[in-house]
Amino acid sequence: MEKHVMTMPLQEEELRKLKIGDVVYLTGHIFTSRDMGHLRLRSLAAEGKPLPKDFTGAAIFHAGPVCLKNEDGSWRLNVIGPTTSIRMEPHADFVGQLGAKAIIGKGGMDQGTLDACEKYGYVYLQAAPGCAAKLAQGVKRVVDVTWFELGMPEALWDLEVEEFGPLVVGMDTHQNSIYKNLKEAAFKNLDELYPEFI
Amino acid sequence: MKFMNENIMRQAIHDAVIRSVTEISADAKALVRAALDRETNPTAVSMLSSMLENLDIAKNQDKAVCQSPGYPTTWVTYGDGNFPSFVKDVIGEAVAEATKKGYLRPSIVDPLTRHNPGNNTGEGVPNIEYEYIPGQEYVDFIISFKGCGAELGNAMKIFTTANLKLDKDFEGLKRFVLETAINAGGKPCPPFGIGIGIGGQMDIASKLSRKAISTRNWSDTNPDPLLARLEEELRDNINSLGLGAAGTGGDTVCLAVKIATAATHTAIAPVAINFHCWVARRAGIRIYNDGRVEKLL
Repeated sequence: MEKHVMTMPLQEEELRKLKIGDVVYLTGHIFTSRDMGHLRLRSLAAEGKPLPKDFTGAAIFHAGPVCLKNEDGSWRLNVIGPTTSIRMEPHADFVGQLGAKAIIGKGGMDQGTLDACEKYGYVYLQAAPGCAAKLAQGVKRVVDVTWFELGMPEALWDLEVEEFGPLVVGMDTHQNSIYKNLKEAAFKNLDELYPEFI
Repeated sequence: MKFMNENIMRQAIHDAVIRSVTEISADAKALVRAALDRETNPTAVSMLSSMLENLDIAKNQDKAVCQSPGYPTTWVTYGDGNFPSFVKDVIGEAVAEATKKGYLRPSIVDPLTRHNPGNNTGEGVPNIEYEYIPGQEYVDFIISFKGCGAELGNAMKIFTTANLKLDKDFEGLKRFVLETAINAGGKPCPPFGIGIGIGGQMDIASKLSRKAISTRNWSDTNPDPLLARLEEELRDNINSLGLGAAGTGGDTVCLAVKIATAATHTAIAPVAINFHCWVARRAGIRIYNDGRVEKLL
């Protein structure tokens, strides 16, 4: 288990060195996106229209923050934490096509994401679940928000972060997944505890 | 008969709603701490430590524990002449206040259009389950904001006597619970609690599963000896699978299993499994007709 502090834009070469279980902290800009944001990005991309942010080397955070509006119209972050990533599994290859190099979330993703991690050189990073006040300490500034009409959770928030973490590499670029390993081992245990009924 | 203590009740319910969104239930917190004390996996130690540290930060900085407000369900029981008709209004006001202060992110949307009105209410929300209990000289009020990543792991199955494996100490039921826990993995923000509803038809089993994990103290013992034994065995065997806090490996993925039952038809045994994240945001109070207020959860 190694500790890495990485700065955006993330470099594929560095990411391919990471292994599951490594601990990563991120510095730079991260973009939140979840169900509705991914759909909108995909429809814009399909129509060949420009995207609101440059995702080259970016980290996409599966999250919807709690933000409060200042009197001058700017935003301040209250808390932020990861949402369940598996919902974004259908977008795994698209995220790679965007050039994003890390997903931050919780609960892990599936084979489509593992394949995309290997193909495009991005990693899946697990944040501690339900720890929104602690994670917010790594966010220095809300830069801006795009598509607020989708609602506060679903909008795309651009956040400036500094040593944001700790984040555990849950899925690496070599087809390794903590979640897949644990699931396979657990099903073996289960067969011993309660054999399948035929 | 007009209820005598309306103002006391309004204030007590308002305070309970605010408490439920600003801290987690003491029983769940104690179980997370105990899990950290016995944890041997370094990643899980880091995750559990972050969780406890997060609670301190949220308290010191007067912030929400989790960014997701979850979905609010309230259970109200009442007796003769003390029906609290104003409960929905008081919850609505407290939720609006909590949303404005940043304790609750506006997250309730239309199920199809996904339109978000921005105030955490909508058709059927907040959900309230009322029950009349003849002769009860108090009102019990329990509100729970349950996170929805946990919902993604939920499962429901209509068992039969044969596949329940009644003749082998319910091995069919137990396997279904463990399979569901493995497939849920890290999605329900473990270490999670599991509510299991057994009986009725599909709708009743589902409601019981939510009620079991949301209204019981996670450290209590089921008064029914069979259910108490099943709850303990399931919790320990789920933990033995090695899934761990956050689902990244470790000794404790499950803090508690709570089972509630209802009679069913002789042809079926509906079973609903309902996950609850470790962030157990709930509060329960008992308000006596003479105005005394007692803390339940």
